[in-house]
Amino acid sequence: MIELIDTYWLYFLVGQYPHGPLGGLALTLILAVLGLLFAFPLGLVFGIARVSPWRSVRWPVTALIQVVRGTPLLMVVFWAYFFLPSLTGQNTDQFWTMLTALVVFDAAYLAEIIRAGIQGIGKGQTESARSLGFSYLDAMRLVILPQVVRNMLPSLVNQFVATIKETSLGYIIGLTEVSFIATQINTQVLTRPAEVYLLLGLTYFILCFGLSRLAFWLERHLQQRTMAKAHA
Amino acid sequence: MNLRNPLLAGMLALVALVVGTAHADQLADIKKKGEIVVGVLGTDEPNSFVDPKTREIVGYDVDLAKAIAKKLGVKLTLKQLAVAARIPELEQGRVDLLAASLTHNKEREAKVDFSLTTFITGQKVIVRKDSNVTAVPQLAGKKVLTVKGGTQEPNLRKAVPTADVVTFETTGQAFVALQQGKGAGYVNDEVSILADYAKLGPAQKDFVILPENLSIEPLALGIRKGEPALKRVVDDTLRELEKSGEAEKLFFKWYGNDSKIKFHARPFKIESDKVDS
Amino acid sequence: MTPIFDLNLLLTGTYHDWLVAGLITSLSLTGISLALALPLAIVIALIRLSPVKLLQWSGFAFVEAIRNVPLLAHLLFWYFGAPELLPTALREWLYARNVEATSAIIALTLYTAAYMSEDVRSGIRSIPGQQFEAARALGFSFVASMRLVVLPQALRVTIPPLISQTLNLWKDTSIATVIGVAELMYQAAKVESATFRSFEAFAFASVCYLGMSLLITGAAGWYQGRFPVRTA
Repeated sequence: MIELIDTYWLYFLVGQYPHGPLGGLALTLILAVLGLLFAFPLGLVFGIARVSPWRSVRWPVTALIQVVRGTPLLMVVFWAYFFLPSLTGQNTDQFWTMLTALVVFDAAYLAEIIRAGIQGIGKGQTESARSLGFSYLDAMRLVILPQVVRNMLPSLVNQFVATIKETSLGYIIGLTEVSFIATQINTQVLTRPAEVYLLLGLTYFILCFGLSRLAFWLERHLQQRTMAKAHA
Repeated sequence: MNLRNPLLAGMLALVALVVGTAHADQLADIKKKGEIVVGVLGTDEPNSFVDPKTREIVGYDVDLAKAIAKKLGVKLTLKQLAVAARIPELEQGRVDLLAASLTHNKEREAKVDFSLTTFITGQKVIVRKDSNVTAVPQLAGKKVLTVKGGTQEPNLRKAVPTADVVTFETTGQAFVALQQGKGAGYVNDEVSILADYAKLGPAQKDFVILPENLSIEPLALGIRKGEPALKRVVDDTLRELEKSGEAEKLFFKWYGNDSKIKFHARPFKIESDKVDS
Repeated sequence: MTPIFDLNLLLTGTYHDWLVAGLITSLSLTGISLALALPLAIVIALIRLSPVKLLQWSGFAFVEAIRNVPLLAHLLFWYFGAPELLPTALREWLYARNVEATSAIIALTLYTAAYMSEDVRSGIRSIPGQQFEAARALGFSFVASMRLVVLPQALRVTIPPLISQTLNLWKDTSIATVIGVAELMYQAAKVESATFRSFEAFAFASVCYLGMSLLITGAAGWYQGRFPVRTA
């Protein structure tokens, strides 16, 4: 195993970089970070639209979210890969295809987290904000959302873990992220598949487990703060 | 269609205009950008594969692409593609050219234009000795492994309709599955099979390459349909390589005695862009 | 001239048969993995709640090791890696059978069970502890108190999250395409490369995935309407 790591560690971490495109674990991380970064504002808009008092806003967004959540991510990736260019007239490569699919997919999931957060805070606060003369949108922006976003911090970290795992599907469209590289190494070495895929699994595990512990810690921390406030 | 409706006619004209500009001469675009994007597999030794030491994609296809970029005086950018994604990527203009172990056949001519044939190889089957298969028809009812989206699967189905074909994203994955014993045989172009066979080392004694060809595969570079100017430059470059003897040198560099393939002779010349089937 | 959308391709002939065979494989993968994952999930949940520290810890390790690695890496490991570690005779026996589907079922079962066990566990924890203590006081063993008193109630509150895990399982079967399982996604790609009719092939697969997802979501909605969660 040591020999395997010794020969291939750089390829595993950065792909062909700097003689070729960046790949490997670095690409996995970049995809996941950008995916979540772009999905968050979109998810926020979708989440607010989900609980909007206006039906013409609520219904189409609800339908869109249901469709995305009912479709495997792999299917979303394929649609983006084969049909996005004919829709937008833009030539997107595997990276942007994967990123678009991740953003759409994650936004649908974040929207539900945000919706649950808004509903969890309750009508009471919105109503008191409205009675103080805030418009609906101002009440959302100034009163409700800041609380929602703070409460959802642990969920966000968990969503980041989910996104890291989702990037592995880039493998299927030939994106040279870490799973693809591991497979390349496996076909190169030929006789040590268990070790190669264990190392791949271990890499994901260290990354994702670390992050999910962080989410767990954040959750407890936030709970304690809320409780301390309640006692004060 | 009747174009009496002026609104409809106007819209159609607009569509034609938009489509027209999108399909402006690709050669001019490449020169303007100063870059040609060439789609390669990167998973198919010796045509295009990642050299584990330098982590760069190298191979026969890559050297041809380099020659074309040099002729055009532009920068070469390689883009690694899945086998099944090659033609869609070219059609949608995400790559300018395919140098990706692409078989030239009549069926595909409806979708893509092809350069002069750059290589001719037979498609073959390598089997495990313990499967007791000694000829292609004996694969009936047996599990045969290959890659998704190439000519391998249709060719095998034509030869042995009852074979149980299992496909993977890359030829390498399918070969690993064969090496592990998950199927009786594995289909690929002969040159690629020879490269895989070389990797087996001492385990070679457990495998046999069946002598029959499933088909003859003329490989060529793929060009988007209706780009005569680009095709002319590509073909001219290939002709020059042939004339100067450079093409022969490239052949022996990747397929000759010093390579894993060990071919002694070059049974073809780069001269024609016609295929029989 | 070929039509823009060739519906006939989907309704009759070889390509129709391929796609339907894929759908049936996807449904079978879901059914078998679900049947195996449910009891496994209950066992893991009980292990995690058992009074023995070592058991608790191993349950935790199992769940985290599985949830923090993408399903794609699990599939690659169980197909290409793990069987190579088996003794030769057993390995050859397995390889002579449908090793693709077997590996996929193992990976899907473990992955789904890890998630479901967390839902079962929180279901059990939602049942007031006094009930368990009362059962123990009446002379029931740990297992019997769980089986007869706690679990029947816990599973009822757990049904909605379990249905949503089933939805995930249904969507996740699509990833089995990477190890050559001839499920819906695999067959759609096969039709696509045989006919170049990507739109029809992917439309068929999307409609199937979405239709089944809506049925599963509908089941969850029906259940919640029929058996609303009683709050004590």
